Amino acid sequence: MNRARLEVFLAVIVCTFGFSAATNAHHSFAVYDQTKTETLKGTVKAFQWTNPHTVIWIMVQPEGGGQPQEWTIETTSPGVLTRSGWTRKSLNPGDRVSVEFHPLRDGSHGGGLEAVTLLDTGQRLQAKFGAAEKPGLQ
Amino acid sequence: MNKMRLNTGWVAAFAACTAACAVTIGLGAAPVHATDKDPVDPAPTLKDYTTLATLPDWSGTWTPDMTDQVKQEKTNPPPWKPETAKQIKKMYADEDAGRPFEIIDHCFPTGMPSWMLITHNAFEILFTPGRVTILGEGDGNRMRRIYTDGRPHPPDPDPSFHGHSIGHWDGGTLVIDTVALLPQAFLAVNEAVGIPNNGDMHIVERLHLQGPDTLHDDLTITASKLLTKPWVTTRTYYRQRARKYEIVEGVCPQGSFIDAKDANGNDTFAPITFHDNVPVGSKSK
Repeated sequence: MNRARLEVFLAVIVCTFGFSAATNAHHSFAVYDQTKTETLKGTVKAFQWTNPHTVIWIMVQPEGGGQPQEWTIETTSPGVLTRSGWTRKSLNPGDRVSVEFHPLRDGSHGGGLEAVTLLDTGQRLQAKFGAAEKPGLQ
Repeated sequence: MNKMRLNTGWVAAFAACTAACAVTIGLGAAPVHATDKDPVDPAPTLKDYTTLATLPDWSGTWTPDMTDQVKQEKTNPPPWKPETAKQIKKMYADEDAGRPFEIIDHCFPTGMPSWMLITHNAFEILFTPGRVTILGEGDGNRMRRIYTDGRPHPPDPDPSFHGHSIGHWDGGTLVIDTVALLPQAFLAVNEAVGIPNNGDMHIVERLHLQGPDTLHDDLTITASKLLTKPWVTTRTYYRQRARKYEIVEGVCPQGSFIDAKDANGNDTFAPITFHDNVPVGSKSK
């Protein structure tokens, strides 16, 4: 298949199926089960402070032993988080944390963040999406 | 980077799709007025700059009322055509079932009118002679150029995510007329429910202060491929002056990568593993 034919083929695929097969980062949080909130304790592996969504990678020791498992907890953008009192240094590798999150529906190790508590300081951070719904906030 | 190649592939596919759809559907926006051939903008004068001081004060950062977005979505939905309404009904069902249709996951600009309708992010408004510019954050290239120098729309503008906008002041209200939108630009009511306008969309907005720190955008959206009649709706934004509300850079594709080092120890980006649009592993960290 030459390049022109390949592009037409791809165009047909895209026109037919839309972009649902794309794997980019900007997605609806309806993928997470908003009716459930779960809590996990673990250690921060990495904190990704990027648009459109920030991500906390957490290593969790399974109950009953075994190797630590990586969990992916997503939340909103750096802009919205900054306005909620976060900085890019709010979480650091090695921090012990407790996360409250809305889980993925298929049981995969991921969720949408509700709040994260730094266990060594007790500081609790939330993503306050609707916090800017009035003027003149400080 | 495999991820980068994948994205390039999607962009190529989108470009091909644009061409294919343009041929089959036809691109909206018939010429509104004839224009001079190759017009040239004069240099702005001191008077042009002092005139800006007579405009209403829209400085600061504007944050959307997301609660009201949901209220508007439920109480004043677009007058969808029956065949479009079927698609919308399925999208709501899929969203409720946790299988949201992803309107903005491609990281292209949200585009017009969806930016003004469904944004979760802030924007700012700049006045310069002959132009109003709206800059947003969230997908890296959220920018509207609204020409207020009296020009008409060009005869055959290139379609774009934000369209071609001309504006004029009606007292303290900026009246904006937008045409030449890409047919793929969504008319969306939330991040999981919306339909590409499919061409021939026209937007008229009346942007004005409602009180000292509340901005209203009254929109009249004509989308003949989707709607039985023009949809009149409104959105509300609040002024913030605290510096922590200032707009920050928002390059959407950056979210598909994580910080990494290359073989020479240089800082670089490495792709994140995704599953059904959700990041599942920092494999490169």
